[in-house]
Order: sequence, then C-alpha cells, then structure tokens
Amino acid sequence: MKVTSMFSYKGYKGTYLRVNLSTSRIQKNALPESLARDYLGGTGFCAKVLWDEVGPGIGSLEPENRLIFATGPLTGAFFTPAGRFVIAAKSPLTGIWGESHSGGNWGPELKYAGYDFIIFQGKSEKLVYLYIDDECVELREAGHLWGKDTRETIKSIRDELSDDTIEVACIGPAGENMVRYGCIMVDFYRAAGRTGLGAVMGSKNLKAVAVHGTGSVEVADPERYMEVADYAFKKITTGAWGEVCESSLGMYGTPNLVSAVNAIGRLPTKNHWTGVFEAAEKIGPDILRENYRIARESCFTCGIQCKYISHVKRGPYKDTITGGPEFETIMALGSNCLNDDIEAIIHANQLCNLYGIDTISCGKTISFAMECYENKILSKEDADGVDLTWGNPEAITTLIHKIAKREGLGNILAEGVKRAAEVIGKGAERYAIHGKGMEVSGQDSRAQKSVGLTHAISCRGADHLRALSSLEELGFGKTIEKRFGKEKATDIQDLLSTTYKAQVVKDVEDLYAIVDSLLICKYGTMWPPVYYFDDLAILIPPLTGMKEYGDLKYLRLTAERICNLRRAFNIREGMTRKDDVLHPRFTKEPMPSGPAKGHVCHLESMLHEYYELREWDKATGLIPRRTLEKFGLGHVADQLESMEKLP
Amino acid sequence: MDGERVIRKFLVIDPEKCTGCRICELVCSFHHTKEFNPKRARIAVLRNEETGINIPMVCQQCEVPLCQEACPTGATHRDEKTGALLIDEEKCIGCRMCIYACPFGGPSIDPLTMMTIKCDLCGGEPRCVEYCPRRAVEYLKADKVGIMRKKISAGKVSKMITIALGV
Repeated sequence: MKVTSMFSYKGYKGTYLRVNLSTSRIQKNALPESLARDYLGGTGFCAKVLWDEVGPGIGSLEPENRLIFATGPLTGAFFTPAGRFVIAAKSPLTGIWGESHSGGNWGPELKYAGYDFIIFQGKSEKLVYLYIDDECVELREAGHLWGKDTRETIKSIRDELSDDTIEVACIGPAGENMVRYGCIMVDFYRAAGRTGLGAVMGSKNLKAVAVHGTGSVEVADPERYMEVADYAFKKITTGAWGEVCESSLGMYGTPNLVSAVNAIGRLPTKNHWTGVFEAAEKIGPDILRENYRIARESCFTCGIQCKYISHVKRGPYKDTITGGPEFETIMALGSNCLNDDIEAIIHANQLCNLYGIDTISCGKTISFAMECYENKILSKEDADGVDLTWGNPEAITTLIHKIAKREGLGNILAEGVKRAAEVIGKGAERYAIHGKGMEVSGQDSRAQKSVGLTHAISCRGADHLRALSSLEELGFGKTIEKRFGKEKATDIQDLLSTTYKAQVVKDVEDLYAIVDSLLICKYGTMWPPVYYFDDLAILIPPLTGMKEYGDLKYLRLTAERICNLRRAFNIREGMTRKDDVLHPRFTKEPMPSGPAKGHVCHLESMLHEYYELREWDKATGLIPRRTLEKFGLGHVADQLESMEKLP
Repeated sequence: MDGERVIRKFLVIDPEKCTGCRICELVCSFHHTKEFNPKRARIAVLRNEETGINIPMVCQQCEVPLCQEACPTGATHRDEKTGALLIDEEKCIGCRMCIYACPFGGPSIDPLTMMTIKCDLCGGEPRCVEYCPRRAVEYLKADKVGIMRKKISAGKVSKMITIALGV
C-alpha cells in the first residue's frame, strides 16, 4: 500500500520535485504549507519560485534559469473544465515573466504520480528526458531523440517504455535550436505555446518529461465537493450556458471566433494593418467543420470539449492531419498574412506542432517579414529567394521550416520580431508588432478599446490570456450588469469606449490569476464567462480544506498578491511604465476599415485608472511599499528598495 | 418499477461519440473510493490522441460469465437487482483469475488495495452514464440495445435512398 500524503490541505499531493540537470540530482521536497495557502497553485506557485530563485542577473537561456511545470489543487479532480497545468520560466522572448498553459492529460498524470510541481534547473551535459513512474523518477539518455519532431518523440518514448498511456510533454527541433518562441507540446496537439518556454527547455538539454501515475487526488470534504462539482458541471453543460458553450466552442471550437471577431472589425489582418479580412469566410468555422474536421476531442475532465482534429485529404497538402487549427493559428498564419488558403493554414499548423513552435509568434513574425518585403526593407535575396508577397502560402510553409532550423532569414526571424527588426534595421521596427518583446495575439485594440489595456499591462507581453474581457467582445450584457452594476453597463458594452474598462480589465486579471492557479481553462471563465469569484469561493474550501477561501475578500487578496508578485518580477528585470505601451500601429495609425474605421486606441486614460485601482505609482508604474505590504509582500518591497525600484 | 425489482439494463458504448474527456473514469472512481483516480475506475477510456479515436471499455456483465467460472472462491456472483456481476470482497482473494478469464478486460487491479475491481453498475444508477457529456455511454433495456445501432445504420440507408431518388 502507498503511503498517504500527510500534507494538511487536500487537493495537493504535498510533494514537489527539484531536478538539477547539471548534477543529475533529483530531490523530492515537501510542499510548504504557506505556498499552498498564499499562492494556491499553478501561476501562483510559479510566481513565488521565480521571484525567489531567478534574479535579474540570470539570462533566460542560462543554466540558472528555472523551468517550472506546475499543477493546481484542482488538477486531476473532476471539475469542468479543469485538468490543466502551467509551465513558467524567465522568457527568452521577452526577458521577463514567461508563462504558458496547456490542457491535455499531462497535468493530471503528474498529480496522480504524486507531485504538485517540478522545478528544473541547471543544464544537462547530454540530451535527456525525465521519466516519472510514481515514486521512481529518473533522467534518461535522449541522444537518439535529437532532431525528432514532437510526434516522433512522443511515440519513441512510449515505445521505449512499452506503455502507450504515458503522458509526454516535449520539445521539437525548434526548442532544441532555441527558437525564441519554441513551444512545449503535450499529447501531440496541445501546446504550452507562448513566451518561448521550449527554448528554455532546449537550453537545458531537456527533450521531454514523461509521466505515469497511479495515485489519487483527494478532496477535503468529498460529499460537499461533489455537490459543487455537480453544480458547476450542470451550470456549464446544460441550460443557457450549456447552449452558449455547445453552439460555439462545442460545434466549432475556437475557429468560431474567426467570424465573430471579424464582424466587430477586430480580426488582425495584414500584420495588424486592419481588423477586417474580406476572405474570412474561406478560413472560417463552417468550412473547417464541414470539410476538414474528422474528430472531436476533449482535454481531461472537460464537458465543453472544443478540440478537434483536421485532415486534408487531397491537393498539395494531402495527408496533413493535426489538432486544430485554433482561432489564434488561423489568424496568425491566415488573415494576418493575407492567406485565405485554409488547407495551407492547416498544414502550417501541423508544421508548427511538429517542430514545436508557437503558431502566434511564428505567424506574426512571418507577417512582419512580408510587410518588410512589401516596403522594400527585405529583398528577395535577403529572403533566400523566397517570394514574400502577401498571402503566398508557399512562403509561409517555407519560412516555418527555415525558422525551426534557423536557416538563412529563418535564423533572424527565429529571434522574434523585436530582435529581428533590430538586426534588419532600416526602420523595420515600424512593422514589428509586439508588446514587451512578444508578438501581439489575435486582437486589435482599435476595435475593442479594453484590449489596449489588456495588452499593455499583461505580465507576459502583449497577449490576451492574462486579462482579456470577452464581456463586451461577445456581448454578455447580463454578466456585465451583474458584475459591475446597471449604471456602468452601457459604457462597458461599448467596444469603442474606454470608460470603466480599467475596472473591467483589473477585475478579469484578478479572476484569471485564481483561475490560472487552481488551474481551470479560460473557456468557461473568460469565454463564455460562466464562473466568477463566487463560484470559486464555494469550490476551494471543500477541495482544499482552506475555509478562509470561502471569503471573497480573502480570495481576491490572493489574486492581487499573485498579480503584484508577477509585476514585481518584471520590475526587478527593469520594466517600468515606459514598457506598458502599445505598438504605434494601434495608437497612431487609424483603423482603415470596418466598424472601428478611423479609430485608434487611447491607452493613457485607461492606464492611469488601472494604476490607480492597483495602487501603483502613476508616474513610474512601480509598486509602492504600502501596496506590497497589503498583500504580505513586505520582503519583496525590501528587495526592490535595495535595488532602488520602489517609487 | 415495482418495489425492489429493477428492469435489467445494459451499458452501451458508442465510441463515435466519445471525445476522451475521461469524466466517466473520474466520477466512477469517486463513487467507489471517494477519491479521484482513473486507475481506480471501473471504466477506462482507451485513447488515441493522435487520431482522436477514443473507446470507453467496461464490463459487459456477460450472460455466460467466464470471470465467475474462473473464480476459485465463489466471490463473483450476480446481483439479482441489476444483473451486475459483483465481487464479494469478503471472499475475493485477489488471485486475478477473473482478469485472465475475461475476454474484454472487464476486471482490473486497484493500484491502491491491489484487490480486483470491476463495474457494479453503481447499483443501477451508473455514474458514467449520468455524467457523460456526449452520451457516449448509455444505460438501456435489452430491446433498445440493438435498436440504437439499427437506427444509426437505418439513418445512413435512408439518406442514401433519398439521394438516389433525388427527393
């Protein structure tokens, strides 16, 4: 019989792994109770570990950077839609906070094996992978996996260990080659896509983490927990919310957004030049569903089930079979490159999955190159003879190969748009659409003003998943009234108004800090906005036994603690208010077409209001000591003070 | 339903509907152990994430139960109420003979207790059926089992005829 964990709180396994790849030493450590109580799990755990262990002197691709794979207390328990995990490190793309999440089955398996999270540090001399089989944890030689794509890697490891149920998270050639937006692939088609964590894994000579577990996830109050899980399951799979989920995410998956956001003029097109793509129908949800979708899939314990597999059966991309493409991929490799060839998009998606590259950064880097080409900043010669004319699908697939292998122009583009523009010069930065060094995700702040603030303040660079509000984006009027009051509803619902948007963005950022710590999906919390703080407050006590989390104030305090610590990490890296900006494309170039025609994003007023709500210094963007102390982060204030980084 | 008598029903699996969410495994393990652990569940989804083919596998409560015949202690017996084949924990010695005898992989070993476990139809209210978001697992009376498959095939035939007639 296995020994049951003596950890005070349930939901957790009470043990974490520290793997030093330089010395091959593997330690099993007790999870500190305070870590669970103050930071819950997931992104909260990562914030604490990265703050404590990765200072500003450590380069993102140096051995001393940490790479953390973390679960939350909900991972492995029945709850729709949980079952996720997070990977974090200092990002090689941005040099600041790097964090990316994935669904699939890997996270729950780590819990069943007995661990809440893993910290990797150091660098292995040879390529290795970590194999966890319950109590047995070992580093195994992976020389034979060098250069293998993610599909081959997963299959090889399963063959080698004679078990096709082993869950594998791995990098492909892009991670090995330290492409700065290399990702980590899970279960073939799930990806921890953003911030270049695959490059960090590659820098450590770590090819994969393979897990098999047979243990259990226990909850504090089984009867009450099941009542809450049942209530949540019914709330999201039946009734009005059930219908919203099934008619959008269920029927079409995220590609449903292609038509939805094109209609509000917010579908990034031609390297964010505009927000309307005339050929959107050709890359839209219906064509995918009718012609290419062969199977619907689900992540672990999800009742929404938005994943699907696409198959191209004929033509130049014959035999392409891959998970997705998701909305962001269709946008980045489609509309944003003026590419209306859906089969080419599916194929490009497959290439990115196999090489292990973030489709968003990759597509945005290609559209950057295309705009440079249009403006004669890059010649055909610079592009190794590739015709980078807008919409050329062959150029897109060719560049993906070159980027992953770091060949020719691909070697420059593998650095991301910010660095690539510096190398290319000639004013190329005008077309490098990024925030804090990360390529902007699939929104446009000129057509939805709150997005401007979302992108500007996101702790991992211009991205939607830390603080995007779908409330006005997709018209959830009743939810707006419930959360912010009737009197504010009209302004909040107005996509083109900046009024009250700081309040909305701060509120969802706090909500997602908890969501990303318990580890629930953004579907069901962001879109559609089914669960809110009150749902989580009835969930955490029977899950963990931490009764204080039944108090909404306590819950929000933890949310703000996590947000402030991630901000502090970035401040320690040198970030200030000057970095909370948008690319001039959004603030100076009026939207040329669509419902938001003529609009730019006025960030200043929203940013001021946001700093005020966060109680941060408006002039510098730094966090005052009294704010940090409010969240129990006095020690953080001490360190920032010694570095003269308090306002 | 009169008194204690429950009309015999069967778990019917439709792999075409299954998406591999494994909610059945979770609610099954919770019902039987008060813990979440797919390896302690009586139902298992055989997954192929690459092709998206997912097949839930569970005991078929056979009419000629080889598991019962193989059991050396008489632990395996039929529940008169539901027709489920149950394992009497008092009599089971964990010899795994039933596992070897079963052609479908119905019984398995609980990795915590190391004793043999199998589907007991949750006493007539199978949790896997209650929580399956896609209705890939259903609990049907005998006469409905064949009909469900027939209906699916008939639908295809009917579509073909419609096309052929150009209606």
